[in-house]
Amino acid sequence: MRIHLLISSLIIFTYFNTFGQDKNTISGYVKDASSGELLIGAVVQVKDGQLSTSTNSYGYFSMDVLQNEVDIIASFVGYKPFFVKVNVSDKKRLAIELEPLDNMLEEVVISGKKRNDNVTNAQMGALNFTMEEVKNVPVLFGERDILKTIQMLPGVAKGGEGSSNFYVRGGGGDQNLILLDEATVYNASHLMGFFSTFNSDAIKDVALYKGGIPAQYGGRASSVLDVRMLDGNNKKFAAEGGLGLIASRLKLEGPIVKDKSSFMLSGRRTYADLFLKLSNDEKVKNSKLYFYDLNAKANYRFNDKNTLYLSGYFGKDDLGYGDLFSFDWGNATATARWNHVFNEKLFSNTTLIYSDFTYRVNVSSDDSKFRIASKIENINLKQDFSYYRNNQNTFRFGIQGLRQKISPASLDAGDNSSVNSIDIEKRYGIEAAAYASHEWKPSDWLSLIYGLRFTDFMVQGPGTFYDFDADGDVVGSKEYGSSIIKHHLNLEPRLSMSFILNPKNSIKLSYNRIVQNLHQLTNTTSSLPTDQFVLSSINIKPQYADQVAVGYFRNFADNGYELSVESYYKYMGNQIDFRNGADLQANKYLEGELLFGQGRAYGLEWLLRKKQGRFNGWVSYTLGKSERQFDQINDGQWFNARQDRTHDVSVVAMYELTKKWSLGANFVYYTGNAITYPSGKYSVNGNTMFYYTERNGYRMPDYHRLDISATYEPKPLHKRFHSSWSFGLYNVYNRKNAYIIDFRENENNANITEAYRIALFGAIPSVTWNFKF
Amino acid sequence: MKLLRFYILMSFAFLLVSCEDLIEVDLNSANPKIVIEADLNDLSNKQMIRVSRTVDFGAPISSEAITGAKVTVADSKGRLFEFVDKGEGLYVKEGFKPVAGLSYNLTVNVEEGVYQSSTKMDVFVPVDSIAIKEETLFSKTYYSVVLKFDDPKDIPNYYKYDIAINGKGFKFASAYSDKFNDGLYVSHQITDRDNSIELGDSVVVRRQCVAKEVYTYWNDIQMLNPGSAAPANPTSNISNGALGYFSVSSAKEYGLRVVKESN
Repeated sequence: MRIHLLISSLIIFTYFNTFGQDKNTISGYVKDASSGELLIGAVVQVKDGQLSTSTNSYGYFSMDVLQNEVDIIASFVGYKPFFVKVNVSDKKRLAIELEPLDNMLEEVVISGKKRNDNVTNAQMGALNFTMEEVKNVPVLFGERDILKTIQMLPGVAKGGEGSSNFYVRGGGGDQNLILLDEATVYNASHLMGFFSTFNSDAIKDVALYKGGIPAQYGGRASSVLDVRMLDGNNKKFAAEGGLGLIASRLKLEGPIVKDKSSFMLSGRRTYADLFLKLSNDEKVKNSKLYFYDLNAKANYRFNDKNTLYLSGYFGKDDLGYGDLFSFDWGNATATARWNHVFNEKLFSNTTLIYSDFTYRVNVSSDDSKFRIASKIENINLKQDFSYYRNNQNTFRFGIQGLRQKISPASLDAGDNSSVNSIDIEKRYGIEAAAYASHEWKPSDWLSLIYGLRFTDFMVQGPGTFYDFDADGDVVGSKEYGSSIIKHHLNLEPRLSMSFILNPKNSIKLSYNRIVQNLHQLTNTTSSLPTDQFVLSSINIKPQYADQVAVGYFRNFADNGYELSVESYYKYMGNQIDFRNGADLQANKYLEGELLFGQGRAYGLEWLLRKKQGRFNGWVSYTLGKSERQFDQINDGQWFNARQDRTHDVSVVAMYELTKKWSLGANFVYYTGNAITYPSGKYSVNGNTMFYYTERNGYRMPDYHRLDISATYEPKPLHKRFHSSWSFGLYNVYNRKNAYIIDFRENENNANITEAYRIALFGAIPSVTWNFKF
Repeated sequence: MKLLRFYILMSFAFLLVSCEDLIEVDLNSANPKIVIEADLNDLSNKQMIRVSRTVDFGAPISSEAITGAKVTVADSKGRLFEFVDKGEGLYVKEGFKPVAGLSYNLTVNVEEGVYQSSTKMDVFVPVDSIAIKEETLFSKTYYSVVLKFDDPKDIPNYYKYDIAINGKGFKFASAYSDKFNDGLYVSHQITDRDNSIELGDSVVVRRQCVAKEVYTYWNDIQMLNPGSAAPANPTSNISNGALGYFSVSSAKEYGLRVVKESN
């Protein structure tokens, strides 16, 4: 309670403290001059002054200036800085357009010296980049992938070989809120995780929050990955695409009404299945194995004050073997957004979002014919306001209503089948949330963002809810109508603050509590599309995480290098695991299979990053620990989470060799996963059995890998037509990193047992041809 | 559902260009644990129970036999069957054929303590037809034994199968419940765990109608795969932390030879 009192008194204090100051306010948008794309996080500042701000996620900024006539500089990585003289009494609303640099070789020194935002900004535990910044990072099969790139940042653990799953600061794989234009993406991977659902052609900007998570976000306990799609070129028609070994891509964009309205359409499809057609086997010939993605966006700018955005994503994976078996799954999202500028100080965003994830299985063998279908969907209405009170005070507040519906796997057998149809009850939940936060710069040496989020998760009927005893057996049940059955009320305080020692050094502190009401049940090492989702209920309490972090931020060499060291401690409550041999499929007593416990994670993260120049990249190192405790597992003792990594190192380097050639390399090393190995063996009915004692008491071998890439961009044949070749080599020194280690009887002597290793990818070359006109 | 899992795994396996090799893993040794295998059934009137201890992973033997244990089984009619120590961990009772419908209690007395369990013997669900099935998946031919039968409606039924190929000993094949097909005409497709049945093999399938907790034990085993997040010991129905299980089942054996279907 004390913290809430403190926050409300702070709000009142600052309100009166800043009231009555009269300044001139300029506001507007910062865009890419060639495409009209709004730039997120571009810095706008007054020359020779301390005043500066940056654009929000819609490219909008608002700033108070002291004089009537000011020199404004706008800058952004990869763009030429823009200077403009503004007479505030004449013109308050600016539309700034930045010219992109053709080449990193044209290094431009920004005179404004305000590139130390990472030091002075109160936000900690956050990292963001544009696709342009990471385009030369080498990747598996030559497919640029934003989820693979963030896995090389400190505090983000890789899900395993080639996987797009990730774990943030020791949290669970389902504790990451993954947003695509504000829509929740339930399953961010294709083909068992080897590709992410994010087609890099369609993406503008990515922000990852690991700690001190702002109050406008909620719903997942560990992190937020906020991915924004490109709006589409509103100056001229453009096409871009690529032909790779695994997939091809095509993007079309252009104005609908010049400077007012534009569209962007981007598609990607893999074609490994085309090789199946070469098979002699009829069934293999008729098999399916592919995925595709479609991203679409359109916007219309009614006037300076009103802009409407419509965006959507549709992706699908399709696997099939002859007419015996087919399995497809995919996400769909749709977002409608209305940006409204009430005045230069009050910015509003109204969003209506739909997203879903579906999977379907079709089996029609002689003996069993059935279909399985499962769906999770949500409708989300959000109203967000940003109030730029003055340069020292920005308020953000809003409300949100989220309705989720889970249709668990139901089995439809049809007539004359040897299986029965099963229909498991649907589950409903409504999450109402309200938040307020205040970004405050009371002095040169202090800036802070504090806020509070309130959530009411309502478990909604109709449905039959069961009670379970300590062994997970049903002891009672109750049927509810279409009413609210239970409220889970939670307050989530958030804080992030920066003590600016000098323009090059700062110390930051953060705290956040985040509550999670949607839980993904995974009992395999890789998350499968068939993983069951459950909502908080009578038996399942909301998961939550309390995290404190402290960090030191320093810039070197005229802000050319950024160094940060962050340390965190996270406590996770109401964590979920499973009983031995849990039956998670089509089980109406599913909740009885769950176990509830706690988790803790702590660590130290180092990041040295060079963002600009011919040579750029980063070095990241994480020293961490992540543990769980369940009364019914491991005799109630704490045990290592699977993704507990003591050491995790990533080095990413990109070098612009000449105007035509650029090179990239990355190296990763991490401690092997914590894993359960047998500590003995015995024999039952002639089968050798393994005796397990300690959960995750062993380690996989350490993982390391080097990848390289080279991009060749010849002089364009035609002025408008650009093309380039990307060459890559994944796992250069062909290390056999263990994907799975398992144990078995020796083929010749059943008394002898042996360990074997399965490694997935050796050295894999790739080549992609990209074009743009 | 098992079929479904098989197909999913096959599809994924097909995707992966993987390589496999043997490695050395340094494993701890654990305190030995008692293992009791008590698979009593009505196939004969000689019953056998094996009592052993776990051994270190690297040991050249698969388990350590326990001799000198006192092993008894009592039925719900008050009869007591004292098993005779035959050495090498084997305890045998002649002239004991369990009867469906009765409950049985097991007591094993060893140095470490007393281990107990109880279970009920269910009636056998007769098989309607049995045949060899040939299937081609990804250009490889697989053989299996298909048993068809009417599952009794509104009663939970659990089935466990062992298989012996070419006279080698019986090994566990698979376990089923009727969760998805209660009361239907059901097919169970049985093959050994390595899918190694070949043309010309002689195959014996042993079908047992088992109790729920016995099904749970074997289902835990068949659910274990290299992709399990956390492998654990199968849930035993014996007290005091013993590994293994106590089953009293109705059983039948079916012998077949794998031959090419004559068209």
